[in-house]
Amino acid sequence: MSTSTATRRSPGTTDIPRPGSKRQHEVLRLLPGPLLTIILLFLGALVLIPVLYIFLASVNSDIGVANGEFWPSSFSLDNYSKIWTSVGLATGLANSVLVAGATAVVSAALSVSTAFVLVRYSFRGRLTILRGLLALQSVPGTLMVLPVFVLFSSASTYLGIQVIGTQWGLFVTYLTFAMPFSTWVMVTYLRGLPKELEEAAKIDGASNLGVLFKIILPLSWPGIVVSGIFAFLLGWNDVLFASVMTRPESQTAAVALQIFGASQEGGAIPFYGQMMAAALVCAAPVVILYLIFQRYLVGGLTAGGVK
Amino acid sequence: MSTDASNEVRLAAESAASRAAHSAADASSQEPSGPSSPRRKGLSERNRPLWMLIPGGVLMIIIIVVPLLLGIFMSTLNLDQYTLRKWVSAPFIGVENFVEAMTSSPLLHSVWLSVSYSLLAMVVTLPLGIAAAVATQNAFKGRAVIRSIFLIPYVLPSFVVATVWRTMLQPDGIVDKALGTVGIDVGLWLNGPQTFWTLVLVQIWASWPFIYLLALSGLQAVDHEVHEASALDGALWWNKLRYVVFPYLKGPLSLAFLIGMLHHINNFTLPFVLFGVPAPADVEVLPILTYVTSFQSFRFGLSAAMAFISLVLIAIPLFVYLRAVKLDDAESPGAKK
Repeated sequence: MSTSTATRRSPGTTDIPRPGSKRQHEVLRLLPGPLLTIILLFLGALVLIPVLYIFLASVNSDIGVANGEFWPSSFSLDNYSKIWTSVGLATGLANSVLVAGATAVVSAALSVSTAFVLVRYSFRGRLTILRGLLALQSVPGTLMVLPVFVLFSSASTYLGIQVIGTQWGLFVTYLTFAMPFSTWVMVTYLRGLPKELEEAAKIDGASNLGVLFKIILPLSWPGIVVSGIFAFLLGWNDVLFASVMTRPESQTAAVALQIFGASQEGGAIPFYGQMMAAALVCAAPVVILYLIFQRYLVGGLTAGGVK
Repeated sequence: MSTDASNEVRLAAESAASRAAHSAADASSQEPSGPSSPRRKGLSERNRPLWMLIPGGVLMIIIIVVPLLLGIFMSTLNLDQYTLRKWVSAPFIGVENFVEAMTSSPLLHSVWLSVSYSLLAMVVTLPLGIAAAVATQNAFKGRAVIRSIFLIPYVLPSFVVATVWRTMLQPDGIVDKALGTVGIDVGLWLNGPQTFWTLVLVQIWASWPFIYLLALSGLQAVDHEVHEASALDGALWWNKLRYVVFPYLKGPLSLAFLIGMLHHINNFTLPFVLFGVPAPADVEVLPILTYVTSFQSFRFGLSAAMAFISLVLIAIPLFVYLRAVKLDDAESPGAKK
């Protein structure tokens, strides 16, 4: 057998065959060429046609969209200047960035320290907490929204703290619901870090906090970024809590767009162009974040299986 | 031979799932330790900074555990918009809400809708995701671009996906026009009995990349020797896929199936933005029904009971998932089996 030319690969390495080797390519081939092309074309079209359509519809006239034009009969960028006030996207985006951004930062910080304790120390209830982290990721939001709403409104009745309708209420809610997944991401990340550095630091007299700040933090920033981004996305994508707990001035972009879309029903031709432009603007930050951190995020997705 | 092979396949699938998670960590992170390697012995018991658990713990108790108990309590009250303000003193009616939910509300219909829609979407996304993963497994020019493109539907926020499809599926909209050119007239997408299929279709569009990701992580586990062996045996591509490659995908895909089902059943945003409330009866899935009962009909107690019943429904796949996950020794929530 001609195993001498074949590279034996340990399970940890990637799947890419030796570049430039035609034989390798033949051996690794999974699908016949034509079928592969068909699959790629079909799936590519499935994704790209709707995406392209968003662009085209956002520069089209509303009548054009309503008549089912794919290629706009008239181009105009007006929609992109109108949405800031008509959809309320200026306020919406500012609130979204504020709430989701704060959620991301605080959740990343909390999840590092929580995961650090969970991974490196043993104590009673550790496994229960780990299991709870996984379970809590699947608690349906619709189950929580009413009790959380009641709890927050009780806070204003009994404690005199106004939570409903403020960004604070949303922030605390998103932070809490982001924590289980963010922590789980950090737990899987910290497990991959070698323990020796921490041990060496301890021998040198570092405290627990010292280890966390001087060893763990500098080493685990990719994990921190991932857990922060997932927390950000949770806040950015949420409609449920934001639709119940915000007022017009504290609305997030998601709710602004949803309300704008729902209010277009009936009567004249809906402002399709503005809807598509606003949808694109809301999607852009998320897509850009993904493209920049794709390598890390894809792993994080499969780790916890959460969007 | 056959037992050996199947054993190896099983192991590989396990490590695939675990590696999928592990790659969340750095790609350069060394130590490809298998799921069975003994690693937890060095856990420190002295000088534990357990106080670091307090901030997260307090948050979760106040915002998750307390409301959860509150929800259960509320499901036994006759809560409406008048009694909500003083919910503590609302009339206690025991299990009446549950009885009403089970007997005279659309709850059972919603359960059926939720489960069937989740399953249908899953049945279609599985082959799509697997095909995508198999097609992009080997390097070719432009593969990185294709992989990024495949992720787009998954990356787009649900409310954006729903808004866009809502526009495309308007009567006489782009989809109707496109189908009209080939002579198909489907009728109304966003109203009436076909809304169920609309929901399934849009969910499929949005969620197949998730299956693709997990299938891809499973394919990484196929050792090079396996390719060599099947090449030597002259296996046809279909046989190679069926008997050699697919067994590797079993672990990751069962995981994907469970998590995907949980996502679909819990998905509120997609039907909510796609159809608005009140939703057509054929898409009144559980989250929508619970929401409408609370915030449109103001039957808060009944809604809490419905939410509790849907939690029980969620608990089934969730329990299987938690059982399948190794919390400690494996690097990740990989399937244990």
